[in-house]
Amino acid sequence: MNLQDYLKSLSKDTLDRLYKHPATCLAVFRELPELSRQFILRFLFVNKSIHQVLLASWIPQHDPGRDLGDITTEHRQGTQVLVDMCIWQEVKDHQGNPAITLSNSFRQNLKVAMLGGGQPWTMSSSLDVDPHQRDVEFLDKYAMDRWESVLQFLVQPGRGQTTTAISRDAMRTLLHAGLIESNDEPPDNMQITSAGFQFLLLDTASQVWFFILKYLETVTERGLSLVACLTFLFKLSFSTLGKDYSMEGMDNELLTFLQHLREFGLVYLRKRSSGRFYPTRLALNITAGQNKGSSDVPKHGNLVIETNFRVYAYTTSELQIALLAIFCDIEGRFPNMVVASITRTSVRQALLKGIGAEQIVSFLRQHCHPQMFKQSNAVPRTVADQIKLWENERERLEFTEGVLYKDFMSIHDFSLLSNFASSKGVLIYSDEKQRTMVVTKKGHPAIKMFWKEAQSK
Amino acid sequence: MVNVFKGILIKCDPVMKQFLLHLDDTMKLGSKFVLVDLDECHLFVQPEVYNSLKNLIDEQYEKVYYNQKSSLE
Repeated sequence: MNLQDYLKSLSKDTLDRLYKHPATCLAVFRELPELSRQFILRFLFVNKSIHQVLLASWIPQHDPGRDLGDITTEHRQGTQVLVDMCIWQEVKDHQGNPAITLSNSFRQNLKVAMLGGGQPWTMSSSLDVDPHQRDVEFLDKYAMDRWESVLQFLVQPGRGQTTTAISRDAMRTLLHAGLIESNDEPPDNMQITSAGFQFLLLDTASQVWFFILKYLETVTERGLSLVACLTFLFKLSFSTLGKDYSMEGMDNELLTFLQHLREFGLVYLRKRSSGRFYPTRLALNITAGQNKGSSDVPKHGNLVIETNFRVYAYTTSELQIALLAIFCDIEGRFPNMVVASITRTSVRQALLKGIGAEQIVSFLRQHCHPQMFKQSNAVPRTVADQIKLWENERERLEFTEGVLYKDFMSIHDFSLLSNFASSKGVLIYSDEKQRTMVVTKKGHPAIKMFWKEAQSK
Repeated sequence: MVNVFKGILIKCDPVMKQFLLHLDDTMKLGSKFVLVDLDECHLFVQPEVYNSLKNLIDEQYEKVYYNQKSSLE
């Protein structure tokens, strides 16, 4: 789920309140498809509603080298997004014709974002210089440390209780997200779920985004306002790395939110009372969601993978080793490195936990030692292919739930029904000689209706 | 007259299909489960056997798999 999908899932009311701020409008605008942005810009200075007819005339009638159908679909998607996100409102003009207008608050605030004016909308920076100035390097390290402690907890939730400093709040989010589960109340004996394993193998940007999404689902329970939190997140995404911002003017709600963000490593606060905070790289990436991947997060890959399925990990991080152990057999541990091998059994273990071959390979690729990138494929072909083969061999049978029709009286009846089913796209098997066909379970009611009607004629 | 069955369509290679038919004949799952033998690569089976069939196949496959590492030890 990316930012767009998330916003679409919010209620119209919430979205309207979100658009009351230039930062959110600009962030939303940036994430839209190119065509939708074009539409918004055309609308931006038009205060009247625009006819659907006029809108349709924007679709080019001919474009050499492109299929007309494609263009129309692209236009339809471009407009649908805007309607879904309540940026466009469908209205009727005074003659009762369907027309479209840009949401008022969105229009006003996007204008402010693009042309300036209005209240200052980035967070205010402190005036005096911070005596404890932090540089980018420190912030990156801090963010990764914090984030890794969350992951570390996921890997060993049982042990985490005493060793890692992860708060009840973070734990609650993990539980809510279904990444860990516990049988007892209060949650003590926690177990990582298969969703949790899949989460661990994602890249950091996607992890943070997923985690924040789940966190936002619970903010109202914690007595925070969703709109305030989202607006703040969007503001954060426009801030500058390595610069400190003032906490002045933030109400209690936002301060609590800030504390939570601090815990996940999205912002750095030296002390609660210092009155200033630094956003970290994790926070800057957040609205980019999965689209932009982890290109901005500095990589320290340390895996060397050989074609003989041996993996050498030059790491001392418990987390890294625990992650590796999900799908590798650890053969030896040395002070600065770990030797492991990928075997059929070890990959099978991971597959049984619901992790896909694709995820394993992409995890390996992400954590490759820089030296590995000198070859054309960072992960050796043999290894990547073999992991996929191991996955495939578990799926030699393809199951589809369906309903079977046979013993048709005439070939006419059979072709009538099978043609109808294939036109609906629900036909999964048909054999004319035996007059047998199978449709999906979902398609069955429609076929049944059709058959009854055909019989009664 | 048209006969209608509810169940699961299985698509597989001919070898696996023969194996499934064998399981059906020998009643490995306690009863017959193949409803209609469609063609070389398709079978239509009872919906209840989905899980047990999957597990059984997985088990059988593990039994016949030659595991290089464990045979060396």
